[in-house]
Amino acid sequence: MNLNRIKLNSKQCRIYRVRVNDLEAPFIYNDPTLEVCHHESKQRNLNYFSSAYTAAVSAVDPDAGNGELSIKVPSELWKQGDEMKVMKVYIEFSLDQPKGGLHFVVPDVEGSMAERAAHVFSFGNQNSTRFWFPCVDSYSELCTWKLEFTVDASMVAVSCGDLVETVYTHDMRKKTFHYMLPIPTAAPNISLAVGPFEILVDPYMHEVTHFCLPQLLPLLKHTMSYLHEIFEFYEEILTCRYPYSCFKTVFVDEAYVQVSSYASMSIFSTNLLHSGMIIDQTPVTRHCLAQALAQQFFGCFISRMSWADEWVLKGISGYIYGLYLKKTFGVNEYRHWIKEELDTIVDYELKIGGVLLHPTFSGGKEKDNPTPHLHFSIRHPHTLSWEYYKMFQCKAHLVMRLIENRISMEFMLQVFNKLLSLASTASSQKYQSHMWSQMLVSTSGFLKSISNVSGKDIGPLIKQWVDQSGVVKFFGSFAFNRKRNVLELEIRQDYTSSGTQKYVGPIKVTVQELDGSFNHTLQIEENSLKHDIPCHSKSRRNKKKKIPLMNGEEVDMDLSAMDADSPLLWIRIDPDMSILRKVEFEQADFMWQYQLRFERDVVAQEEAISALEIFPTPASRLALTDILEQDQCFYKVRMQACFCLAKIANSMMSTWTGPPAMKSLFTRMFCCKSCPNIVKTNNFINFQSYFLQKTMPVAMALLRDVQNLCPKEVLNFMLDLIKYNDNRKNKFSDNYYRAELIDALTNSLTPAISINNEVRTVDNLNTDVRLILEEITRFLNMEKLLPSYRNTITVSCLRAIRMLQKNGHIPSDPSLFKSYAQYGHFVDVRIAALEAVIDYTRVDRSSSELQWLLELVHNDPVHYIRHEILSMLAKNPPFTKAADSLLCNEALVDQLWKLMNSGRMHTFNFSPRKFLWCLYGLNPSIYQSYLGQKPKQSPCLERAFCEYHVVMEPALIGVAMAPLGLKRKAETPLSSSPEPGQVMQEEPSAKASVKSKVSNLL
Amino acid sequence: MADSVVMGSGSLNSGSRSGSSKTSTSPTENYQLARRRTLQVVVSSLLTECGFESAEKAAMETLTEMMQSYITEVGRCAKATCEHTARSTPTLSDVVITLVEMGFNVDTLPVYAKRSQRMVITAPPITNAPLIPKALIAGQKRTHPTYIPSHFPEFPDPHTYIKTPTFREPVSDYQVVREKAASQRRDVERALTRFMAKTGETQSLFKDDISAFPLIAAKPSAIPYLSALLPSELELQTLEETDSSEQDDQTDTENSSSNVSQDDQSADKENVVLPPGGVVPTGKANEENMIDNPYLRPVKKPKVRRKK
Repeated sequence: MNLNRIKLNSKQCRIYRVRVNDLEAPFIYNDPTLEVCHHESKQRNLNYFSSAYTAAVSAVDPDAGNGELSIKVPSELWKQGDEMKVMKVYIEFSLDQPKGGLHFVVPDVEGSMAERAAHVFSFGNQNSTRFWFPCVDSYSELCTWKLEFTVDASMVAVSCGDLVETVYTHDMRKKTFHYMLPIPTAAPNISLAVGPFEILVDPYMHEVTHFCLPQLLPLLKHTMSYLHEIFEFYEEILTCRYPYSCFKTVFVDEAYVQVSSYASMSIFSTNLLHSGMIIDQTPVTRHCLAQALAQQFFGCFISRMSWADEWVLKGISGYIYGLYLKKTFGVNEYRHWIKEELDTIVDYELKIGGVLLHPTFSGGKEKDNPTPHLHFSIRHPHTLSWEYYKMFQCKAHLVMRLIENRISMEFMLQVFNKLLSLASTASSQKYQSHMWSQMLVSTSGFLKSISNVSGKDIGPLIKQWVDQSGVVKFFGSFAFNRKRNVLELEIRQDYTSSGTQKYVGPIKVTVQELDGSFNHTLQIEENSLKHDIPCHSKSRRNKKKKIPLMNGEEVDMDLSAMDADSPLLWIRIDPDMSILRKVEFEQADFMWQYQLRFERDVVAQEEAISALEIFPTPASRLALTDILEQDQCFYKVRMQACFCLAKIANSMMSTWTGPPAMKSLFTRMFCCKSCPNIVKTNNFINFQSYFLQKTMPVAMALLRDVQNLCPKEVLNFMLDLIKYNDNRKNKFSDNYYRAELIDALTNSLTPAISINNEVRTVDNLNTDVRLILEEITRFLNMEKLLPSYRNTITVSCLRAIRMLQKNGHIPSDPSLFKSYAQYGHFVDVRIAALEAVIDYTRVDRSSSELQWLLELVHNDPVHYIRHEILSMLAKNPPFTKAADSLLCNEALVDQLWKLMNSGRMHTFNFSPRKFLWCLYGLNPSIYQSYLGQKPKQSPCLERAFCEYHVVMEPALIGVAMAPLGLKRKAETPLSSSPEPGQVMQEEPSAKASVKSKVSNLL
Repeated sequence: MADSVVMGSGSLNSGSRSGSSKTSTSPTENYQLARRRTLQVVVSSLLTECGFESAEKAAMETLTEMMQSYITEVGRCAKATCEHTARSTPTLSDVVITLVEMGFNVDTLPVYAKRSQRMVITAPPITNAPLIPKALIAGQKRTHPTYIPSHFPEFPDPHTYIKTPTFREPVSDYQVVREKAASQRRDVERALTRFMAKTGETQSLFKDDISAFPLIAAKPSAIPYLSALLPSELELQTLEETDSSEQDDQTDTENSSSNVSQDDQSADKENVVLPPGGVVPTGKANEENMIDNPYLRPVKKPKVRRKK
């Protein structure tokens, strides 16, 4: 077979020349995603777009041997290719104002680039390395790398692999970082970050280096003081050393995602950094670190064979991350997390449609689409919805857990160890690149090693959850047959609605009886709905006797509430969550109450709490109050109980006796003994009670009286909490607490009584609202002088102001939010402000605000914001397809169509589609064909201060039969690196230009 | 040395005299004036004895001054000598030693005293020794405790050392204190924010009354994450206050842990001083606890290429 063409992936690079073994080679560059649907096309609907977009992505899919850049190998060299000789390919290219792939952050202040903390980093959704250099942009094409980056002398370039040396250029004004990555790595796992970083060598592990932006070093030190424990944990459970010889963490501003992992380095959002005074951010950041590290093993070191095998990597990394959670945060937290994830995926699948982990595409025709219910194709990672991908990851790790349930954790870890040790043996085989396929994981390979290690057949499980989409929806109810002393359980399934599937197989049912807790395994079969479960206990009442629980504990219970004839205390279906399911189970309120009080499993408690919402009785109230007071109870359960109690109290409004719900509890727990209206000075040393203290006022504010207003007593109580809040003696910051107190004020707001749409003025302001507004004004103003961590208070104030506007207390006006939404505010503040503008757009149907938002989607420098605007618009659409709206016009459709058709939205191509889908659905009739101009390119203030050289060493190239190597080298001076003191208003001029050599070794 | 002491005491005396010349009413001053007049008489008689018939006032004054200085010095030195030998009352021998010290031939004294032409001076008028004005008596004067010999000086007046608490009974009612602290802080915050709002740009929630709830205008900053992430100075301050005890605990545990962690700490410090350019002082590289991390290595100079 001849090698006469080499296809590479490249986007937005300007390629000047290509040489193969020093011979000029002609090349064709064609990026079909730049304009997905052609101008001429008359059709305009999402299905059409989806198929066109899939076709465009397929046309350049590296796994299929395609690419945007097609290089014609000079005929003189054809013979060489046949003889499997080395060919070198040089590509000379430059990158001008990249819109994706690399992100430049250049703060608009005086000073040199280093003083301005200007930095750049690579980012992208899945395999997007082609955005910044030509490569075979596939996770399955491994090669070793030599990377050179020439940067300003004040900058540090962090990239994958070992830093071999740093050398000054001849003029001593720049330096070149030489990196060597001897472990075969796929191009999408290559990354780069350049900036005036502060360097911190991990005090526990000297081969680990952390980088952060100037001035943040103290935060970095604190945040990273914990990383070594995560390292130790993973190395221990996987019985495998961290595969790379070094690890680097870089914290950058304006990151698109919080965590992204690349070979031997991870790029984090700088907003994860925190000081020791911050409580709430600490677990979040640790979760992110643990996730990043899990992905280093599975995702970076071990890569995937094809897109269909992605679930294995995401599953394993998610699963071991879960193990870490269990070890560090405890079993309660772990089970709570599993329940949360299960609920999320179940909700998504039931609402949107099934999530398929392992899609198989027979043929290649679009008609075989395994997921016709979705408005996008799942053939390629790039055509996916962002949200779908999140759900995909969620489901993947849940399925891994199901496999663990089947084969035991020990075997599971053995499998992982086997995958890793095979991969590390393969990676050390320097010149036998065919061995490297051991470093790629495939579904079949993974299943094979499971069956080898455990000897168990997990085929049905895989078929059910991996090869098939959808979740199971159970409805359960029961009756107790006193004569037979049998529990008649009926379990029905809904497998016809979208996102569901039929489940056949075993299911565990736990029955708590008077004599103890008993597990039963039932077989769910085609036609049998009813199951008879014999009861162990007679319904005799031995009042003195203690009741044994599942965990062996024996407790006294007040049995007066229960049915005298039945020995059943409560019943749980699938308590271990070993099926991806939703269970709607009917049992009496007292059973839920017993379950809440006495079942020790947090999942059961949470289920009981949500079930009790529909039983507003004094008994439910008592059960919830007891749980709230119980220190031993998991704090998240107690937090949930607060909200449930508020709901129950509102339903019981007319019969409620005593002070407002939770008030006396809060007073007892957190207020001074001598003066119950004054809260104690803050001491957050006990985190459980801290979280409870934060949550209770928020829940209390949801209480309503007969006039559907927040009771005066509650409002005054909250105002007192704010007034007497004293954090001087506390070693932790109270910013989150104060923010939640503002949220509580927001929750207390109810619509204003309006007399025929009069204009809202200061004079006719309600007195209570005036007090609230007074507090919000003061908080928001103080925040300017003493900003809180992550500006949590500003965020809460903005939400509160929007709520005041929405409820008609103050005039509705988006201008305040628009000013907070500007570039230059902290990202959380911007998101909160944008959310308010979006809400305004919906309520006031303002087309100018919608235009303003779309303008921002076009022009905002921060990719994350652009993405978030669209996804928030999708969540809270300005109009729906059902209702007529002035906003719904052809121009808008046209605008959105252009937005998604342009290929400009590199990293979040999906979001405009999602928005459009939310507005109109798939209905094609709304879109009329209408031709318009291409959208203007948005000017981007980006500046390169870095240039790079990339050398890919022996690698497999997908097109050829013979294993061929690629060597790429780029060298160039940067056209103009900004002079110190140069001001940003100038035309964006700089560009990273790179010459690239691609060569063929072997 | 003796000279300087003399001079010192002289100047001290002159000081008291110039002070006395201005106001001469108080009994203390009367007493001193009487003494001085006696001295003047002595000086005059001595002069007469020597054959002078008259003397200028200034000369008289000078001689009187010298005489007074001399006597004072004798007294002072005698006192010092006696205290040196751990006594409190000077004896004759102390005076003799003093006179010898001052260069006076003591043997000539008896002869001089018994000279024939000696004039007898009338005794100075008896003036009452001035009453030390009673200072405000505050408290009981303390007597010496048993372990202090009685010949040691007495305690000074109590007013010099006792203290009288003068504060008012503090408000100890918890509720009032909290109430006060809370409203004080709120007032300060409100006043401060109002001030900031009045002096700078504002945004308003109401169109009809812009000044009703003034909000300080939101200004984008170039590097928004800095203020959002770094703890404010106020927070740092409270952290230091509350944390000081705990930090001690931490250092204790760190000290007890192995050497390795200490090495780490010192290495850690080295990182902090790392200049942004990444250049590490090469001298430190030799230290055994130096971490070998490629990012800490010095930047190499470019190789000189000859051919071009």
